[in-house]
Amino acid sequence: MSRKSERLVNLTIALLATKRYLTKSEIFRSIEGYEGNEESKERMFERDKDDLRTLGIEIEVGGLDPLFNDEAGYRIKPENYALDLGEISGTDIALLSLAAQAWNGAALDSGAHTALLKLKSMGIESDLAAIPTLAPRITLMNEELETVLQAIANQTHVVFEYFSVDLIAKRREIAPYAVGVRNGHWYFTGLDQEKKELRTFRMDRVASQIETAGKPNRFAVPDGFDLFENMDSEEPEKLAVLDIRKGKAATLRKVAHSIKDLGEWDRIEIAYGDTETFIDTVLWHLDDVVVKEPADIRGKVIDNLKELVRIHG
Amino acid sequence: MVKNKPTALAETERLLALVPFITANQGISVKELAAAFDVSPKQMVSDLTTLWMCGLPGYTALELMDLSFESGFVTIQNAETLQSPRTLNLEEQVALIMGLDLLSQSLPTDSALKQNIEILGQRLSKSSRITSKLRAISNIPASMRAEIETAIVRKHALDISYYSIYRDEISQRLVRPLELRVDENAEYLYAFCETAQDFRVFRLDRIQSCTSINKVSDEPPAMTDSAAAKQSFTVRFNSRLRLMRERFDAEEKSSNSDYSQDSFSSQWLIRSILASSGSAELVTPLDLREEICEKSQLMLDRYQSQ
Repeated sequence: MSRKSERLVNLTIALLATKRYLTKSEIFRSIEGYEGNEESKERMFERDKDDLRTLGIEIEVGGLDPLFNDEAGYRIKPENYALDLGEISGTDIALLSLAAQAWNGAALDSGAHTALLKLKSMGIESDLAAIPTLAPRITLMNEELETVLQAIANQTHVVFEYFSVDLIAKRREIAPYAVGVRNGHWYFTGLDQEKKELRTFRMDRVASQIETAGKPNRFAVPDGFDLFENMDSEEPEKLAVLDIRKGKAATLRKVAHSIKDLGEWDRIEIAYGDTETFIDTVLWHLDDVVVKEPADIRGKVIDNLKELVRIHG
Repeated sequence: MVKNKPTALAETERLLALVPFITANQGISVKELAAAFDVSPKQMVSDLTTLWMCGLPGYTALELMDLSFESGFVTIQNAETLQSPRTLNLEEQVALIMGLDLLSQSLPTDSALKQNIEILGQRLSKSSRITSKLRAISNIPASMRAEIETAIVRKHALDISYYSIYRDEISQRLVRPLELRVDENAEYLYAFCETAQDFRVFRLDRIQSCTSINKVSDEPPAMTDSAAAKQSFTVRFNSRLRLMRERFDAEEKSSNSDYSQDSFSSQWLIRSILASSGSAELVTPLDLREEICEKSQLMLDRYQSQ
């Protein structure tokens, strides 16, 4: 194994150090490890180029002079190889390191780890004293995340089965735009190819593997598209008036627009999005919360209570 | 972002990363270096031996990198060509961008660091092939987690205000924090609760606030996995099957439409059934089923009398 990695490292060094394109024959002559007849050297070199590209190293092909019957030449441009984060301070390094540490043990752990090594290789002392003591953390694993990220980057469609509200797995094909993690769930959003509308999916509701479909560069991701902004704008907010018992429903109080003291009870104004979710939340609080307005929500709560009595009676 | 890379490729990637790392950390021990790269010291020595043979064409003493590690401490000279770390790959970019987003929310709105984060985020996004925003939002403040982690290490007590969702109550408790654990996508603090004089588990997202009390707490008794009384129940789902299955954590079907599961709290069970608005029916236990019926009737009467 080490013979091959030694050759790949030497090839990288030579292609990086050269100021002009190196031809294949120059490479075979000067870089250690290319042995055998011409054909096997060629094969070896083709594989090495592919391997370096797999590692994300860009090899430029050029130096062809039309006047002469030249060979193609190769080089790696230092500006494509080296990390350039612009002017960067010890504070920035501390912030980036903390950002990487948030993934400890979670979905992007390996990328975060190698990123951290690169930050520690920049020769800039991390200035931890400049930032407050914080321990940000993302705890979620996800097996399908890599596929979705690559699909967004390559602009390829993804295909998967997704559980509908009624728990029926249905096939979806989307042009993926963005991923996000919020309060314990992974989400991704994309343009649904059948419905021709933006749809957001929760990763844990995907019923199959996520697979890419078709060629790259099939669509353009809107610049700066924000998944959660889009998700939250799907349900316009409406206002409701609730009576809540003193000392109860702390979670509702926290987001109340206004609170009025009624003695044993408080009257609050609160914004809600999805009607069903809102009614579920109201009923979770049992007899400590009563809906006053709007009338249609109040009516639905009454219907639901009747249904609860009917099925449990 | 190549998973399951063949050994030679993984090794090449590591060798290329080693050069700038050693350059920036001259004199680091082989042991520390191995730990930083998550390989055994034996593998690290093998890596360094390979690297020792690498350099510019010619491969004479003048062109080879000047790597020394026999003493157990590693230094490198004459490695200018490789001394810059490589550009970030997609996974690394995404990890940093999302990590920064999370970090930014943990800072006070007027923090000057927010601007640093914004600039860093922009630079990372500009070089990334993903043009949409990659967001990470958490309902657990990073400052609170840091406070708990520090208290665990220093064996300090914590004064926490905790929201019990089952009882719909906020209580003040003095606890001796023992451990943070992740279970089923949620984070928990395992602690000895001085108030209850017993071990308790607190969900981090329900801790409203916490203050470290600067005193070394006595060793609490050894933690026991107390077998809290579990109660089995059966539910039947009538509609909104996806939500109901998630809410009741029902994986296994016991019959056509009935699911059996265990619960620690009858409070939780009653509230969850009510909050399902008729989409779920509690089949057993019968006493709770009756209680749900009575409770619903009571609430219904109140609505209809007003």
